[in-house]
Amino acid sequence: MADDLLVHAEGLSKVYGDVVPTPALTDVSFSLGCHEFASVIGRSGSGKSTLLNLIGLLDTPTSGRLVLNNRDTAGLDRDGRAKLRNTFVGFVFQFHHLLPEFSVIENVYMPSLIRGDPQSTQLVDRARETLETLALGDVADKNANEISGGQKQRVAVARALMNRPQLVLADEPTGNLDTENTDLVYELFRKVNREWGTGFLIVTHDRAIAQQTDRILELSDGRLLQDVANPGVEREAPAPGKR
Amino acid sequence: MLSLRIATRFLRTSPGQSILIVAGIAVGIAVQIFVGTLITSLQASLLDTTIGNASHVTLQNVDDKKAIVYTPAIQRVLASDPRVKLIVPDRVLSVIFSKGTDSAPINVVGAEPSDINAIYKMRQHLVAGRLVNAADEVILGKSFAKKYQLKTGDPVLVVLPGGEQQKLTLVGIFDVGTSAVNDRIGFTTPDFPRRALGMAANDYSDIQTQLTDPFQSQAVIRSWKGLEVFKGVQFKDWQVENAQLLVGLQGQSSSSYMIQVFVLVAVALGIASTLAISAVQKTRQIGILKAMGLTDRRAGLVFLWEAALLGGCGTALGLVFGVGLLQLFQLGPLTFPIVLDPAFVGGSCAIGVVVALLSAIIPSRGTSRLDPIEVIQGGG
Repeated sequence: MADDLLVHAEGLSKVYGDVVPTPALTDVSFSLGCHEFASVIGRSGSGKSTLLNLIGLLDTPTSGRLVLNNRDTAGLDRDGRAKLRNTFVGFVFQFHHLLPEFSVIENVYMPSLIRGDPQSTQLVDRARETLETLALGDVADKNANEISGGQKQRVAVARALMNRPQLVLADEPTGNLDTENTDLVYELFRKVNREWGTGFLIVTHDRAIAQQTDRILELSDGRLLQDVANPGVEREAPAPGKR
Repeated sequence: MLSLRIATRFLRTSPGQSILIVAGIAVGIAVQIFVGTLITSLQASLLDTTIGNASHVTLQNVDDKKAIVYTPAIQRVLASDPRVKLIVPDRVLSVIFSKGTDSAPINVVGAEPSDINAIYKMRQHLVAGRLVNAADEVILGKSFAKKYQLKTGDPVLVVLPGGEQQKLTLVGIFDVGTSAVNDRIGFTTPDFPRRALGMAANDYSDIQTQLTDPFQSQAVIRSWKGLEVFKGVQFKDWQVENAQLLVGLQGQSSSSYMIQVFVLVAVALGIASTLAISAVQKTRQIGILKAMGLTDRRAGLVFLWEAALLGGCGTALGLVFGVGLLQLFQLGPLTFPIVLDPAFVGGSCAIGVVVALLSAIIPSRGTSRLDPIEVIQGGG
């Protein structure tokens, strides 16, 4: 196993239910290297979100081995999983999941506060800088409920990037957005991947979106049907130094 | 303290709910302080009225008709017992007061003026004149003096048990607030009854004692009973003499505790149910925070902090309400003083916060166990 892998999955399976076992994912094996920009496609119920939840340590596999950042996740307790989730992974969900009790900028630096960073000018500056990268500088001090749906989703992206994670997991991140905002979010993903060297694994059911990624993993009925490099995308070398 | 910050924000964004809980706790603590202090003050006043000016343990000869000999050995035992705060040997003489065609029985209690002052706080209760100094002086109750139109300096003619008449001088008039004393007790020096009864220098009708803790009377009597020096001595316990009063006080205490406990239970249930609702309302937020890496312990702490903040604010407000109510109550025609016991008030406040924290255990544990996937999969 190469040292620079972000994700290494071996025979990952997930079965829901004890009385009537329902397999959601069966024997999925793949690896994701640093700075990769990959997508997972498949029909509804194919196991895409299950795979993402397992990699994001939101759920535990029924069997198989999952190594994140060269660390076997099998030995992690709930706190250990929470810590790795906080530092290694950034999540973007289909729904923005912002905290309505907090302002936009507070939502953005919340993962850093969870990590244990003290509330400081530097922290606020870093959050503001992240927001500005995503063209959200002017809404930083608004309440999370006072901005548009597209802006909320971009704030969710900013929040996912705040701890400068090595891997961003995005589950249908543009499912609730119009075409304009969808394009904007994917441009942002690409920009972050290119400039910060952040790895991306994007779940989508839209093949057109998947075509914009460098690698496509296709799931069907919980099994990995194919894992192909996307020849149609012109790759640019990431600039890890900027992370 | 991220958990505290989140808790504060949750509370601030649900002001109506927060105010309701704080008000609930405040009312509970106010009732607790008000009822507790009122009952305690009333009981203290009743006790003070009943036994503050009376003997707690009285020593008498086993033969009621005979005097008790106040031997140096008894003096030593009583004086060296740290539980005893006052010793008043006295002589009691029954005489008939006579004025013109009127007559009335009086019990004349002869004791050292300083002892009379100590046990009956007589100097405070004097409404005219002074305490006795000489053997032929007497002080009488206000109602008695009024009934027989006596004033200080007047002669008081009494008929002794043997039929002999004796003239005393009224030097003071007192009002101890008890008609049993005001109507038929007179106080003199010990010499007058001693001479009248023909007693020896160490002979007394009884020896009154007051204890630092009146409720220790039974233990004190138990420890004295076996001593050789008290052979031929009987002990009278104020608790036995006032058994009815004690039953009443205990009943009052029990009902006071019951009220306080039920108020606290109601407060606890109120906080617990509101926090449980709050926990359900904030499930999505907690799930999101956990998805971002908030640990179970810190997530659970959010609701403990909420409870601590609500409990602290509610208790502080309850303290103000409770003390304010007591102040208002004192403006009315009260017959007893209200004494705020800092330990009781402090205890009530501590109970308020602890009850709030205990009420948060269930929502806190639920939050702690929440799996973020449940919220994330549930969508918006």
